[in-house]
Amino acid sequence: MTLPATPRNVMAVALAMLLLLVLVVLLSLTLGAVHVPLSEVWRALTARGGGSEATIIVLDIRLPRILLAILVGAALSVAGTGLQALLRNPLADPYVLGISSGAAVGAIFALWLGGRIASASPLAAFVGAMITMLWVYLLGRSGGRLASYTLILAGVITASFLSAIILFMLTLLSTRDVRGIAFWLMGDLSVTPLAELRLLAPVIILAIAGLYLLAKDLNVLLLGAEEAAHLGVNVPRVEAGVYILASLLTGLAVSTSGAIGYLGLLVPHLGRMLVGNDHRMLLPTAALGGAILLVLSDTLARTALAPAELPVGAVTAVAGAPVFIYLLRKTAG
Amino acid sequence: MERDVILTKRTQLSAALPSCALAMSLSILLSAAAFARTVKDQTGRIVTVPENPHRLVSLAPNITEIVYALGLGDELVGNTDNCDFPPQAKDKPHVGAMVNPSLERIVALKPDLALGTPEANRRETADQLERLGIPLYGVTASTLEGTLASIEDLGRILGRAAQARSLAAQMQARIDRVEKQTEGRPKPKVLFVVWYRPLITVGPHTFIADVIRAAGGIPVDENLKGEWPRLSLEELLPLDPEVILFPQTESFSPSKQEFQTLPGWKDLQAVKEGRMFFVSETIMRAGPRLVDALEELAGVLK
Repeated sequence: MTLPATPRNVMAVALAMLLLLVLVVLLSLTLGAVHVPLSEVWRALTARGGGSEATIIVLDIRLPRILLAILVGAALSVAGTGLQALLRNPLADPYVLGISSGAAVGAIFALWLGGRIASASPLAAFVGAMITMLWVYLLGRSGGRLASYTLILAGVITASFLSAIILFMLTLLSTRDVRGIAFWLMGDLSVTPLAELRLLAPVIILAIAGLYLLAKDLNVLLLGAEEAAHLGVNVPRVEAGVYILASLLTGLAVSTSGAIGYLGLLVPHLGRMLVGNDHRMLLPTAALGGAILLVLSDTLARTALAPAELPVGAVTAVAGAPVFIYLLRKTAG
Repeated sequence: MERDVILTKRTQLSAALPSCALAMSLSILLSAAAFARTVKDQTGRIVTVPENPHRLVSLAPNITEIVYALGLGDELVGNTDNCDFPPQAKDKPHVGAMVNPSLERIVALKPDLALGTPEANRRETADQLERLGIPLYGVTASTLEGTLASIEDLGRILGRAAQARSLAAQMQARIDRVEKQTEGRPKPKVLFVVWYRPLITVGPHTFIADVIRAAGGIPVDENLKGEWPRLSLEELLPLDPEVILFPQTESFSPSKQEFQTLPGWKDLQAVKEGRMFFVSETIMRAGPRLVDALEELAGVLK
């Protein structure tokens, strides 16, 4: 199905997705290891303040986690959409290409140095993501062209190389730090405090908005770099913009919640099936769709074996890996 | 007009007086009920602990054992999926795994104090609980002595100082007895196998290594770093342990005979002589039963 991306249609789709997101959030607020009756959830949401357990569980435990899932889900999905357009490769995804691993290496390196630098781990994750992305991009070019399989191979190999670096760094860290880091690496949305969300939210929203400004150019870029240049697109500028913004989104997502895989791959595809290939339509759909999917995944992660909690990265990988294989076979055929 | 104002003022004043007294007596009552101490726990965190905590959540099996040993089993309102001793601990509401307990379960249990240890829990969990207004008091032990000290420390925090002191004294007496028995005996080099492929053992600065020393052995390598160091088989060969210990866990599969055919293992003195023993998993819990493990191990090393 392809809708023409008129402002009206974009608004309509965005509103519909937003409504769905609100419903998913409400559902997620009512589910958890502790049963909180619907009426209590509603009271917690409407009557602010009051220190009952239900209020604390809903507002201080579930809500921040859901908000983080929304931000991280949107960030990873938009980063994936941008990368797929930039690399003209439907298999591109921050996780598959090793960019998430690069961000993780950056974040762990900052923690390893410790002290004041440790608090700059989001920045270090961003730098790690940038370097990795540039590296994979250069490695994936053969004869001046980006070849689909070469690129994916370059990414996969880079990811496994970086995993080895992570393992190496983990052996140098103390056991206590390792336990926390290993858990974070599997994808964990449970720890970020609300205060940090207030800093994270504007940056992620601005980065997504920045990519949206490039939506029209991305559409043209899909025809090929030369064609886009002929049609008046400043290709290097658009490429650099997507490159920086996607790395920024990946770095922020990874530094707060670890390597949550396949979301950046899965969501753009679902989005294309839903609204077609026009990035003015696709980007908002991917942002909201990613948010919805990650909220659902995390709800599953914290309720499936309650009170034990699964790492959300495991949930997204179980759902995402088969889709990746399917897409790989489809593009091969 | 003016009269009205005066009247209001007077009523305000007369109303204010008793409410003031009420507030004062209330605040006295409240401070008596919610009197709390701000202390530094064994991990160096500053914690505000209620004077007489009576709703406890334990986040580690060894702490659950200590709480029961201090006679506070009824005060324990929740523990982890791994807390299996004493048996009635299994019937308490569980809050999930040690490394990522369910915060909402903990909140729902309305604890006034949570107890944890960096050996089992993550720092992030402590921070999260703090933000939710639940104090977490942490204990840690890297020696037998330290284990006794953390029992006494918990006793002071939980208002059972006397019981804790006498429990620690009993444990100390048993430690002394074992040490006296093993005095003068040859000290075998002991390898404690946490996992065998790859080989993971215990560092020299852990309570497990300390139990081995007190039981009359020496940890195979006193220069290893960290709590759970890896050891390669080529490092192990020249160390040549005389005794190999395995904790009795469900996940441990290979038998003694299998080690006699395993390359790297089969040439070790302990394997050739069959001095490989399974010891109760209690040795991995810094709690009251650590002395049981010590006595058991002293018997094994005899």
